Amino acid sequence: MGTFIQLVVDGLATGSIYAALALAIVLVNQATGLINFAQGGMAVLSAYIAYAFTRLGLPLILAILIAVVVSFLIGAVIERFLIRRFEGGDPDTAVVVTIGLLALVTGICAVRWGYNNLAFPSLFPLTSVEILGAVVSVRSLATTVTIVAIMVALQVLFLRTKLGLALRAVADNPSSAALSGLPVGRLLMVGWGFAASLGAIAGVLVAPQLTLTPGMLDTALVYALAAVILGGLSSPIGCVVAASAIGVLENLAAVYVPLVGHDLKIAVPFVLIFVILVIRPQGLFGRKVVVRV
Amino acid sequence: MRTISAVLANRSVRASLIAVVAIALIVAPLILPAFTNQTLVRIGVYAVAILGLNIVMGYTGQVNLGQIFFVGLGAYVAAYGVNHDWNILLVFVAACVIPGIVGLFVALAAARLGGLAIAMVTIALPIVGVPLAKRLDEFTGGSQGTSARFTDAPDWSGLYNDQWQFYIVLLVTAAAFLLARNLVRGRYGRSFGVVRENEAVAASMGISPYRTKVLAFTVASIFGGASGFLYLAAVQYTSPETLSFGHSISLVAAMVIGGAGSITGALIGGAYYVFVPQLTNAIDPNLTAISQGAILLAVLFLLPQGLVSLPRVIRRLARRRTAPSTPSGKPPQNSPVHHPTTEAAVREGLETQRGKIDHED
Amino acid sequence: MTLLELAGVTAYYGPVQVLHGVGLSVPEGGSVGILGANGAGKTTTLRAISGTVRTGGRISFDGHDVRGLRPDQVAVRGVAHVPEGRGTLGQLSVRENLLVGAYLRKDRAAISGDIDYCLDLFPQLQDRIGSRAASLSGGEQQMLAVARAFMAKPKLLLLDEASLGLAPSTSKAVYEAIRRLRVESGIAMVVVEQNANLAFSLVDSATVLETGRNVLTGSAAELKGMDEIRRAYLGG
Repeated sequence: MGTFIQLVVDGLATGSIYAALALAIVLVNQATGLINFAQGGMAVLSAYIAYAFTRLGLPLILAILIAVVVSFLIGAVIERFLIRRFEGGDPDTAVVVTIGLLALVTGICAVRWGYNNLAFPSLFPLTSVEILGAVVSVRSLATTVTIVAIMVALQVLFLRTKLGLALRAVADNPSSAALSGLPVGRLLMVGWGFAASLGAIAGVLVAPQLTLTPGMLDTALVYALAAVILGGLSSPIGCVVAASAIGVLENLAAVYVPLVGHDLKIAVPFVLIFVILVIRPQGLFGRKVVVRV
Repeated sequence: MRTISAVLANRSVRASLIAVVAIALIVAPLILPAFTNQTLVRIGVYAVAILGLNIVMGYTGQVNLGQIFFVGLGAYVAAYGVNHDWNILLVFVAACVIPGIVGLFVALAAARLGGLAIAMVTIALPIVGVPLAKRLDEFTGGSQGTSARFTDAPDWSGLYNDQWQFYIVLLVTAAAFLLARNLVRGRYGRSFGVVRENEAVAASMGISPYRTKVLAFTVASIFGGASGFLYLAAVQYTSPETLSFGHSISLVAAMVIGGAGSITGALIGGAYYVFVPQLTNAIDPNLTAISQGAILLAVLFLLPQGLVSLPRVIRRLARRRTAPSTPSGKPPQNSPVHHPTTEAAVREGLETQRGKIDHED
Repeated sequence: MTLLELAGVTAYYGPVQVLHGVGLSVPEGGSVGILGANGAGKTTTLRAISGTVRTGGRISFDGHDVRGLRPDQVAVRGVAHVPEGRGTLGQLSVRENLLVGAYLRKDRAAISGDIDYCLDLFPQLQDRIGSRAASLSGGEQQMLAVARAFMAKPKLLLLDEASLGLAPSTSKAVYEAIRRLRVESGIAMVVVEQNANLAFSLVDSATVLETGRNVLTGSAAELKGMDEIRRAYLGG
């Protein structure tokens, strides 16, 4: 039982990282209608930026905050000068653009910091606490709590502020929003900025565990995409639930299903997707098409 | 320029040109140095994989980020067959059919989701494939990989190994290109194109978008498997590294850079896939990813149809320089994608929910 | 004083030219109709004004050249466009749609009063204030689209086929409310309408377009009496 609780809490922690990345993907998709396959790569760059600032002697928390702000700007600039050109066009071309962006961002990390694993300091103590008789790591708990807090903050931003209203309006129908005087271009930049910042937080929270490499989040991206497929692109809450479920399930499967083990737990969400698609061709939540074409 | 294409249009000229190219390809390995032969062989290997990718992505418009998985699978199947002394033809057939079956199953599920979900699912293939290959070590040799020598030149041929391999790859590659060309020019090719342009229109024409996508994806997987067979023929060794995520991205990049929706583009893509990393590796191995991203983005911005469209673009630019400029109130140049403006979009007031966002900051 | 002046306006969808030199003049507080058959360029003329199509020629609004501006820049100058097909924000509630309409305003205190005014103008929206716009009926969506445009407190309202797809009684009610809006607020209007009876109930003057050119311009009273207008648009 103790192991079980430990596994669930750890699973929720990794699940919350996937959830943050999945939310960033949904945010971009809502704003610009495309899937950003570079979301994970951009988050790695953010983590490297935080790393660089800690190397300059800045306290970790300050380095992270700077990285989050810089990531916002990077996201906005990418939208303006790279993605804008392909918005509203063929979605397949836009996907390839984000693939190119992924290669570019990964390449920038590789050129600047190399392919060797770098140790990233943890924001949270590496101690454990006892909950219900189970030993649970503080880092897992704190990671989950941090991400949940950020999601609540985002929810408030989107539902309670004028900026949030404007972002939702642009996501809903950009050409109609423009007729009410909303600066669509600038709002799309803001949307990409928020997504990049969210990715940055996911990146710095997971970096101590995975250690920094240019491809650190390739796998996490795949998990996040699985969460997006299962949860639905139009449902941020669905994505968070799916991401958490994936995090917990894969952790349990790795330990309790010998066939899966730690090396193949990445297959868990995809086996799930395939099984669901075979049983329910219309998708998980009854929508015929989860992705806007 | 125009005179050249006019000459090319002539049937007998074309036939003799093809004959000249064929003879050159047959004679070339006998006189070229071994390293050049090996490079050409590798271009052939990847050109077949990119050709398959082109069928599903370029022609049918379904983004597939997992093509390398089928290349790796083909290579592993071939290695297994060779090491178990199967007949070489059986090895080849198995290396094509097994990836084809796996591709069929993946497509049956993924194509149900529609849209970009195929991209989102296929990106998982290499990510799942690498640990899977390591796990199934009795078939794959685990992390060590597995080697299989079956393409040493037989004594009766009097050829060197590189020459013998060249001919094997040439044979399969030529057959693959011929098959692909006939496929995309025929009935199926037309349904691929209709599905890419507009699935609703396809459905109204009695073409099932679902079945078409599954077919294209399966064909792509078979080509991937054939490419894997050739990979083993050329390299005689395969490991989980063969099907890594980075390579999958490179295949997509090479396909787009060569030219999506073009048979020749696949050949150019194969050359790009082999040459550019060779070049950047020589300068600094860390440069490979960044140059790949930069080149891909540059091509998407400047030559959205890929390198294969370069002559056409140059010709157009040259013509524009000589011809008088377009009449006043110049119509805006449209998006980089190959979708022609449809009648419907021209109709007044058809402002879609998510129309083109025409604004610059 | 002229509020809006179009001269020799051309417009393109891709390579296809749709307008071939359209002129239009709207005085401050005035209401001008654009009539014409399907494909004559009525909607495109409105889109040329609001900056949602590429144009040539001259478009001046409130003394400034507005041709070539982005839609949001045109909106900032005081133009509100109610597009064909309504263009409400489907996933947002009715209240949120109205708040988006008021996005450019700084007088926060007055906004809730104007929402009340809209609900008085279109009482049907009162019960639906918290519902998603996509769940409204066609008529309610049209009312919401007009109300949202009004929320910007524009100088000029561009109204495109407000009766499209509505039952006759509903479109009559919508036009009734718009007429009241015009009287009470003094907002100038450009009205595109297939149904000439409805159009003439709202406009002082009108121009008739044919394949992207003006063929007739005159006061409402003049045009109403003309045979060709009667034949083409009044079904007589």
